[in-house]
Amino acid sequence: MTFFALARKNAWRKPLRTVLLMVSIAVAFLIYGLTASFLNGAQGTAGASDDILGVTSAGGRTQPLPMAMMPRIAADPDVAAVGYVTRLRGFVDVEKNVVAISAGDPDRLLAVNGKGLGLTPALVEAIGQARDKVLVGRALAEAQGWRVGERVAVTAFDMARADGGRDWRFEIAGIFEGEDATTDTYFMIARYDYVNAARARGKDTVDAFIVRPHAGVAPGELAVRIDTLFANSATPTRTQSEKQFLEAFLRQYADTGLIVNLVVGAAFVTLLMIVVNTMVFAVRERTFEIGVLKTLGFSRRGIMALILGETLFVFAVGGGLGLVLAKLATLLAGPALGLVLSLPVLAKALAILAALGLATGALPAFNAMRTPIIKAFRTR
Amino acid sequence: MTENIAPYIVLSGVRKAYRIGGEMISIFSGLDLTIPQGDFVAVMGPSGSGKSTLLNMLAGIDSPDSGTLRIGTSRLDQMGEAARAAWRAHNMGIVFQFYNLLPMLSVAENVELPLLLKPLSRKERRLRVDKVLDLVGLAGRAKQYPALMSGGQQQRIGIARAIVSDPGLLLCDEPTGDLDRKSADEVLEMLRFLNRHLQKTIVMVTHDPQAALYARRTLHLDKGDFVEEKRAA
Repeated sequence: MTFFALARKNAWRKPLRTVLLMVSIAVAFLIYGLTASFLNGAQGTAGASDDILGVTSAGGRTQPLPMAMMPRIAADPDVAAVGYVTRLRGFVDVEKNVVAISAGDPDRLLAVNGKGLGLTPALVEAIGQARDKVLVGRALAEAQGWRVGERVAVTAFDMARADGGRDWRFEIAGIFEGEDATTDTYFMIARYDYVNAARARGKDTVDAFIVRPHAGVAPGELAVRIDTLFANSATPTRTQSEKQFLEAFLRQYADTGLIVNLVVGAAFVTLLMIVVNTMVFAVRERTFEIGVLKTLGFSRRGIMALILGETLFVFAVGGGLGLVLAKLATLLAGPALGLVLSLPVLAKALAILAALGLATGALPAFNAMRTPIIKAFRTR
Repeated sequence: MTENIAPYIVLSGVRKAYRIGGEMISIFSGLDLTIPQGDFVAVMGPSGSGKSTLLNMLAGIDSPDSGTLRIGTSRLDQMGEAARAAWRAHNMGIVFQFYNLLPMLSVAENVELPLLLKPLSRKERRLRVDKVLDLVGLAGRAKQYPALMSGGQQQRIGIARAIVSDPGLLLCDEPTGDLDRKSADEVLEMLRFLNRHLQKTIVMVTHDPQAALYARRTLHLDKGDFVEEKRAA
């Protein structure tokens, strides 16, 4: 038997109580795992770049910008590459099956953010073979069950074609993977020349320019300079990093980070109270035995370690179970939800787990540590 | 016989009082006691005479208000709580009236408890546990749980736990108080064996005159002072 085995056996003394505690801890960490995965994943902003700048209209991201702006942006000596996109939102088959299309110049996208999107020269060459070719992100392709060579039709919500229809037909030329698991790949990349030629309105405009500064250039300073360039024009701009843009975009609906933190915080505070209460009673029931252990020579520190070890064991099993369930859920939810339980998220979860285990064990451990042996013996 | 051996336990001018309901109740007001190494002393006396307080002080779980309490080379009256805990772990074993075994641990695990405080390997601990279980006649019961065993057997587990770290001093608090005569005699025989063959110094508090017969000498405590001493024939 080891010291830890003694703590473990103490924890299992009342199996039902321990199992219920572990379940409540597992549920709290399942919630944490899923919400942290949401924030970390493609739905969040963790994977977004701080270096790449997006130039949109100061009047709102849905206001178009004239394509003529591009040479002026590209003329800035700190700009390494400029791309542009026009966004098209629509659905496939049924309205709730929403997909997004970014129409741009594939060569420019490769130059600006090819690495982040996982674009390769081969993919760019593939989309260049015909105007109606598209590249589909891995997450979208898996969610829709699409394959290369397949033809798909997207019914646009608001971008009408010049012929009066809203159905946009494409042929899948390739699938881009994204740089890593946190990259949003739930969209398609189409050719701007195809979309621009076929649309009814807004020709020769874009929704955003995408700018890659030269290495060593402060993106914030460049952003200010670009906005100054167009400050007195008919279409003043607002330039932000990709990350700032995504954060602002998500805040249009709600401060998701704050909501998630509040939900997780409430779950953990409730958990803390439940476990502290249970552990205080569990240890109080054993006051006599703690007196016996002290009589055998267990020091105050030893008693404290024993009880902290017990709570840490309960948290390790419960929290571990919750995180495993969260991982399974992120795998089963599919890429559409963009949940990513990455190593940093897991490491943070383990740190919270250890901190909560120690915090919940501290009060009962402190009480047990301080109880004099003679007082402990009077409890029987 | 024991007078020629160096004193092992020495209490000198020990005073102890408790505050009960705002009133100070004196238990000892200058108690003196000397116990040589290898002695087996039974302490008897009526309730409230100070037997348990004496045992608690010898065990280092209570301390005198004043006076000297020395066991071996250690001055218990000068030690802090942490030092007394360490002293208990290495120098003393205790046998309780109600065994005080941990119910979720097997026989072997209960006996092994004091060894967790010593820098021993798992193998060394197991060897020591096997040895003392053999000594108390429970070699085949190591994996059983105490709740399924008789009072006499449980007390033998308690004795095994008390001696597994090979302490010089064994304190017994009414070790036969919860046992029938036959089991009590077996336990007392075992204590006598430990005293005579393993040279354990034993201090046993008891109400049972027959139990006291197993000791080398019996001290009668009354109102905080020793009033009579009997030596075994």
